[in-house]
Amino acid sequence: MIKRHFVLLLLLLPLIWLSSCDLQGNHINDLQTFRMAVSSEPPTLDWNLATDSISIRIIENLMEGLTQFDQDLNPVPAVAKGWKVSEDGKTYIFPLHNSISWSDGKRVTAHDFEYSWKRLLNPATAAEYAYFLYDIENAYEYNSGQIKDPSLIGIKAIDDTTFEVRLRKPVVYFPSITTFTATFPLRRDIVEKYGDHWTDPANIVTNGPFLLKEWRHEYSLTLTANKDYYGGRPKLDAIRFYVIGESTTALTLYETGGLDMVSLPPLAIPHYKKHSEYSHHPFLRGYYYGFNVEKPPFNDKRVRQSFSMAIDRTAFPEILKGGELPATSWIPQGMMGYNPSIGLSFDPAGARALLREAGYPDGSGFPEVTAVFSTNPENLLIAQNLQAQWKKNLGIEVKLDNQEWKVFLKTLQTNTPPIFRLGWGADYPDPDNFMNLFTSTSGNNRTHWKNREYDRLVEAAAMEQDLEKRKRLYDQAQKILTEENVPIMPLFTNAQNLLVKPYVKGFRPNAMDITYLKDVWIER
Amino acid sequence: MKLSVLIGVFVILLACIVALFAPWIAPYTYDQQDMSVILQPPDKDHLLGTDSLGRDLLSRMIYGTRVSLSIGLFTSLVAMAIGTVYGGVAGYKGGWADHLMMRLVDVLFAIPDLLLIILITVVIGREFWGIFLALSLVSWVSVARLVRGEVLRLKEMPYIEAARGIGAGSWRILLRHLLPGLRGLLIVTFTFRIPAAILSESTLSFVGLGLAPPFSSWGVLANDGWTAMRFFPHLMVFPGIAIFVIVLACNLVGDGLRDLWEPKSPV
Repeated sequence: MIKRHFVLLLLLLPLIWLSSCDLQGNHINDLQTFRMAVSSEPPTLDWNLATDSISIRIIENLMEGLTQFDQDLNPVPAVAKGWKVSEDGKTYIFPLHNSISWSDGKRVTAHDFEYSWKRLLNPATAAEYAYFLYDIENAYEYNSGQIKDPSLIGIKAIDDTTFEVRLRKPVVYFPSITTFTATFPLRRDIVEKYGDHWTDPANIVTNGPFLLKEWRHEYSLTLTANKDYYGGRPKLDAIRFYVIGESTTALTLYETGGLDMVSLPPLAIPHYKKHSEYSHHPFLRGYYYGFNVEKPPFNDKRVRQSFSMAIDRTAFPEILKGGELPATSWIPQGMMGYNPSIGLSFDPAGARALLREAGYPDGSGFPEVTAVFSTNPENLLIAQNLQAQWKKNLGIEVKLDNQEWKVFLKTLQTNTPPIFRLGWGADYPDPDNFMNLFTSTSGNNRTHWKNREYDRLVEAAAMEQDLEKRKRLYDQAQKILTEENVPIMPLFTNAQNLLVKPYVKGFRPNAMDITYLKDVWIER
Repeated sequence: MKLSVLIGVFVILLACIVALFAPWIAPYTYDQQDMSVILQPPDKDHLLGTDSLGRDLLSRMIYGTRVSLSIGLFTSLVAMAIGTVYGGVAGYKGGWADHLMMRLVDVLFAIPDLLLIILITVVIGREFWGIFLALSLVSWVSVARLVRGEVLRLKEMPYIEAARGIGAGSWRILLRHLLPGLRGLLIVTFTFRIPAAILSESTLSFVGLGLAPPFSSWGVLANDGWTAMRFFPHLMVFPGIAIFVIVLACNLVGDGLRDLWEPKSPV
């Protein structure tokens, strides 16, 4: 008997040894490893397709595009040496560095940009960010299927190091658009060879400061320094992104030395306000609830207005405690065009009157509706507060449902709920990025709302060079969006509340939550 | 009767009274939010403190008693009913019917409860009835096994054979002779099922699959509380104590009843 147990033990030993090896990680110098948490698995690392902040956060450390942001969020050259604009402001020429290479040694050429941008616009790709390039000649026509020939689009690699873009109208913010992940170059041979699996660590080819070394699903992503990076090898050896759903778990890991940076959950903020590692930053990120304007009862704009007017937004900073700024208008504070006087302010009596007009006096006869949000403690608190406010001020009991992030994104695409929670973080620091979101052609507009006048105003504002006139155009558009038609109800502007270990150097958070980690190092 | 049983009965009765008269006992409603008292530790206005939305924890726990107790009670009743009939028929019929029925039980037994519950709540929804049905539908299986075993034993007893010998029909034997023989087992199993169901509901709520907000049960409260554990322990501690006490009380009563009906039980 004892002998048999001994044999069994011997058999188990290698297993125990193997599993402990796994925990040790894989031979990366931990002294120069930056560790941070992401709240869920990135839905995709295909930069043409990524739309969410988690995927983007990883991609922006793997890749570089024509331009990138400096510390003050101005676009500066990256793969491009600079850019030349024609007299009429409609043609951009980007001369490229000729010494930048992909991680497999091939050179980054203008053809890689041409391929990527045309793939982004190809209707078969079904990229939600395709509308980002609609300022380009024939881009919309191609993306919407009106023309079939991609060579008609105003995108052209003149030679390996010259990339030409022809716009259909002059837009002031174009070099900002080219900082965005969806516009990064892409290798046709890689995508065609590996199909959907081209983003796997074994297949992916990138050009940025870090390389994707390992992707353990639902657990972690490891990036290692790219020694051939054209800007010089980054100081860090590696970055580890751990997938941690619970923000308090992430906080505990930070405190026990398992993470180097963490974003504070609401409950913890008051406890850390005086802590030396705590920092608070403004954030160009709007938090809103959208309505599906095609489904009753929210196809009636009076109902939407009423729901928005029934909410006392001063409650949110009380609940979240992170310095959030209540908002009834859409363009966030810190951006040109911000106008807090726009939007429907808290007016329970007015809200009830509108609801009565719409045929639901005191909420009676109102159909059962479910508000859907992605699983996250902050979202749960806000949802419960909205639920209570709607019940108190309108007499309507809204049901709540939370879904995991990936599932939630799918639900929004395939079967948009009557009310849903979303946020929007700036992709470039121009109001166009916020206002463009709700145009009829925007792939990220989940409300199904289409308004010609709104589209016209947003387009006119994008071309307007006169700042005052541009501001007036945005005011008009914001009134349509948040007062008259109300496909969305903005709630507040987020803030960032971070803890960063003192040995992390060179980490400078910005209002767009872009974390280029190439300049970060660790000094113990 | 032992003191421990009396204490158990007292606690259960008290919980039942709290559940029945919740709206009169609770100082606030379960969903009333007050932004001026967010995350207060216990004080004289809020005896057990408040949560992240300024809701009174005591009131939420009092209302939560309703959900937790009724889920415990009703799911156990349904599980007992299904399990007794199923196990009784299988054991009494024997042969291929028994074989077939018990293989189905084996299959259900092999699937983790949580998985089945998740499937059922996805279909029915996370309302009270969804949770209730899901828990009932997974917990009858073990009852069916117990009952079948006992019926197999009882039906070989001389008094059953005697009944059969004088020409009693199947139903008469099942209802008049077997069921009374099962009484002890059933009551004891029932008292042990209740705390198990309360715990299952708590587990379900704790992993975020329980009742949808704003309703509260002890499991929901414990789930809300654990993320705040480090900074606001009262949110976790009080619901935890409530679950602990009621489960202990049910077990004490169950132990007492078993001693009463099965005095010779070796355990």
